[in-house]
Amino acid sequence: MKLETKGRFSFRGGVHPPESKSLTDEIPIQPGPAVKEVGIMLSQHIGAVCQPLVRKGNMVQAGQKIGDSDAFVSAPVHSPITGKVKEIALRSHAIIGRSKAIIIEAYDYNPTKRSYCKIDDDFDENNYSAEKICDSVRQAGIVGMGGAGFPTRVKIEPNPRLPKDTLIINGCECEPYITCDYRLMLEYTRQIIAGVKLARKASGCSRTFICIEDNKPKAIEAMNEAVESFGGGIQVVPIKTKYPQGGERQLISALLKRYVPTGGIPPMIGVVVLNVATAAAIAEAVVADLPLTHRVVTVTGEGVARPGNFYVPIGTSVAELIQFSGGLKEDAVRVILGGPMMGIAIADLTKPITKTVGAIIALTEKQIGGAKFAGRQTPCLRCGRCLEVCPENLNPTKIAHAVKHNLLDVAENNYINACIECGSCSYVCPANIEVSGHIRTGKMLLARQKKKIPD
Amino acid sequence: MRNTENEMEETRFENITVAPAPHISRPVWTYQVMTDVIIGLVPAMAFAGYYFRIHALILIGTCVISCIVTEWICNLILKRPNSLGDFSAVVTGIILALSLPPGLPVWAAVIGSAFSIAVGKMVFGGLGSNIFNPAMAGRAFLAASFGMMMTSWTVPATINPAMPEISAVNKIDARTQATPLAWSKMAIKRKEPADVVNEQLKAMLMGEVGGCLGETSAIALLIGGLYLLIRKTINFHIPLAVLTSTFVFAGVVYLINPQAYIQPHAHLLSGGMLLCTFFIATDPVTAPLTRRGMWIFGAGVGTITMLIRVVGGYPEGVMYSILLMNAVTPLIDRLCRRTPAGGKPSV
Repeated sequence: MKLETKGRFSFRGGVHPPESKSLTDEIPIQPGPAVKEVGIMLSQHIGAVCQPLVRKGNMVQAGQKIGDSDAFVSAPVHSPITGKVKEIALRSHAIIGRSKAIIIEAYDYNPTKRSYCKIDDDFDENNYSAEKICDSVRQAGIVGMGGAGFPTRVKIEPNPRLPKDTLIINGCECEPYITCDYRLMLEYTRQIIAGVKLARKASGCSRTFICIEDNKPKAIEAMNEAVESFGGGIQVVPIKTKYPQGGERQLISALLKRYVPTGGIPPMIGVVVLNVATAAAIAEAVVADLPLTHRVVTVTGEGVARPGNFYVPIGTSVAELIQFSGGLKEDAVRVILGGPMMGIAIADLTKPITKTVGAIIALTEKQIGGAKFAGRQTPCLRCGRCLEVCPENLNPTKIAHAVKHNLLDVAENNYINACIECGSCSYVCPANIEVSGHIRTGKMLLARQKKKIPD
Repeated sequence: MRNTENEMEETRFENITVAPAPHISRPVWTYQVMTDVIIGLVPAMAFAGYYFRIHALILIGTCVISCIVTEWICNLILKRPNSLGDFSAVVTGIILALSLPPGLPVWAAVIGSAFSIAVGKMVFGGLGSNIFNPAMAGRAFLAASFGMMMTSWTVPATINPAMPEISAVNKIDARTQATPLAWSKMAIKRKEPADVVNEQLKAMLMGEVGGCLGETSAIALLIGGLYLLIRKTINFHIPLAVLTSTFVFAGVVYLINPQAYIQPHAHLLSGGMLLCTFFIATDPVTAPLTRRGMWIFGAGVGTITMLIRVVGGYPEGVMYSILLMNAVTPLIDRLCRRTPAGGKPSV
C-alpha cells in the first residue's frame, strides 16, 4: 500500500510564506555548546511564576528542582547542569520584559553526555498508572514546547467537567525556518510515540492523531513506520501545508471540522493538543524520570554562518548559541526567538532561552524585505487581503485602525480578543501596516483597562 | 562574563533591530497593486488610442499629469509627506480619462482631474480615506458643470457607415454621434423598435461605437478585468454581483416589454458598465471589505445603474450608481460584520 503523504485537510484563510527550511532540515540534531553558565527563568510558562528553592552559593545537581509554585497552573523549573548558583537576578524576558532568573555556573558540563532517553522495545504504557504519569509530567516541569508554554499536566489531567476524547499531536511546524520538531520526528520517533501513548493513557482519550504538514513527507513516513511497529491505535494524518496550520485552533478545525469556541480552550470540545517535542519530553519524564531541562533548538536564518539543530540545556544564552553556530554575519539585522511569523525580535542577546524557544533566527534585510525593514507604509487601501487570510475570520484592518485611534470599544466589538496573533494579516498587507502589531497592542491595553495586567 | 557579553553587544550586534512580528512579508506593495491596475487598463487605453487617435492620447496624458500635479500641490499645502510613489494618482487619472468623451477640451479635463484629486481624495485625507471614488467624483463634477461637452460623443476614427446616426454634427476632424444607450433611449421615446441596437452588439464588442474613451470596447475591458482577476488584484465578487444584477434587471424588463427595452446583454456591454465593473466598483478604498458586503455593493451598483438607465432621465447611470453605493459603503460594512470562526464569544 502506498503511503498517503498528501494532506487533504486544512482550515479557512492562512498564508504561504516561503518555507526556508532547507537551511537546516537535513542537519541532524547535534550536541550544543559546552556552556559555562545558564540562566533559568522563573517564568517559562503560562501561569504562576515560580519561587526559587535555592539560594546564592548553593550547589545544584543536574535535574534538581530549583524553582516551584503551589499554583495549579504552573510548572517547576530544574537545573540542567551540575554547578553553583551564582546569583538570582533579573534577566530580560522576551514576553514579560524582565523576570527573575537563577544563574548557575557550570561545573564541568559535557554536552555530548546528555541526549534523549532510549525507549525499549518492550515499552508498555500500561506499566504506568494515569496518576503516576500526570505526577511525573508535573514534577518534570513539562510545558507546551510549541511556543505557548501551557503547563502540560493541566492539559492532560482528566477533568470531570470537560471530558476529553481526542488527542492530537501537533507535528505541523508551520512556521518558516524552524526544523527542530522535524528533526525530532525523524530521529526520536520512538520517544514521541511513547510520549503519545503515555499522554493518551493519562488523558483517557479514545482517538489519537499525529498531524504533520505534507511538506515533510519523510517525517510522515517515519512516523507511520513507527506507529505500525510500535504504536497501536494512533493515526498519522498528513495536513495541507499552510500557515498557521500548527495553531491548535486551526489544526482542530482542519482535522475535526470543529471550531474551539471563541475565547475557549480545546478541552471544551473534548480535544487535547500536544506538540511532538512535548510528547518526547513526557516519555523522558515518565520512563527515565528526567525533568525537562534540555530541548532541541534550531539556530538558523540567512544571518547565521553555520545553521543547525542543537540539543541544548534550557538557560543557554542566545549569544552563546549564535556563537556556536558560527556567529552572526555582517548583514544580520534581526534576531528572533521563535519563528519569523510569530517570534519575538530581541536586542539583548544575553537573554537565556526558555522551554518554549524552538528556534533562534537571524535574518538579513533581504528576507525582511526592504520596504518593511525601512518601515515604509502607505495608508490602508482597504483591499481586504487581511480579511481573506485571517484564520479566525476577523476584520484585522478594522481592529488595527480602531486600536490606532484609541477606540478600544470598537476593537472589542470587532472581537479583538479572538485574534490568535498569527501575523498573517501583516504578512500580506501591501501597505506594510503592522496590523497584528496594533492588534497585540490593543489586547494589552484592553487587559490593562480591565486590570488584568498592572500598568 | 558580563563584561565580555556587553562588549559583544556593542561591537558585534549593533545592527540588530527590533520590530513587531511577523518579520517577513509578502513582497507585494501598494504601488504594485496600483501598477497591476494600470496594466489592466492598458488594453482599454490601446483601443482608445486606436479609435480616437490623438484625442485619446491628449486626454489620458492631460488627466494623468494633472492628477499627479494636483496631488503634489495638495501634499505641499497640507504639509503631508509625498504620496506620489503609490501611483494611485496615475490610476485615478487614467480612469477619469477613460470615462470622458473624446472631444472634451483639455482645460475641462484639467479641471476634472484637479477636482478628482483635491476634492475627491485629498480633502478626505488622501489615499485610503476617501469616501467616493475620486475619478467618479471628478466626472460627476464635470457632468454637472459642462453637461453639453460631456454628452457629445465623437465617432471613432475608424468610421462605420452602418452606424445609425442621430445627431451627427460635422466637425473638422471627427463626427459626433450618440452612444448606443442614448440612441436607444431616444428611439424608444419616438416609439421606434429598440431592437436595432442589438445589431450593434459586435460593434460594441470591438468598440466601434460612440462613447467615452474607455467605454467603447468591451473586449479590451474584459481582457483587462480578466488580468486583474487572475492576478488576484481584485476579487470576483463585486464584478459578478454587478453583472448578474444588471443582467437580471435588464432581462426582466426586456421580457416584460421587448419593444421598449434593449436586450440584457446589450446593457452589459454598453456604456461604462464594464469599465465600472472591473476598475471602478472594485476600487478597494470605496468598496466594502467583507465578501457579503461586496455582494450587496455589487448588486446595488447594478440595480441602481439599471434603474437610471430604464426609468431615469439619463441614458447612462453607472457613475451615479457608483457614487451612491460609495456613500453607503460604511453602512454596508457595519451591516456585514464578520463573526469569529469560533462563534461569538459567550461572555
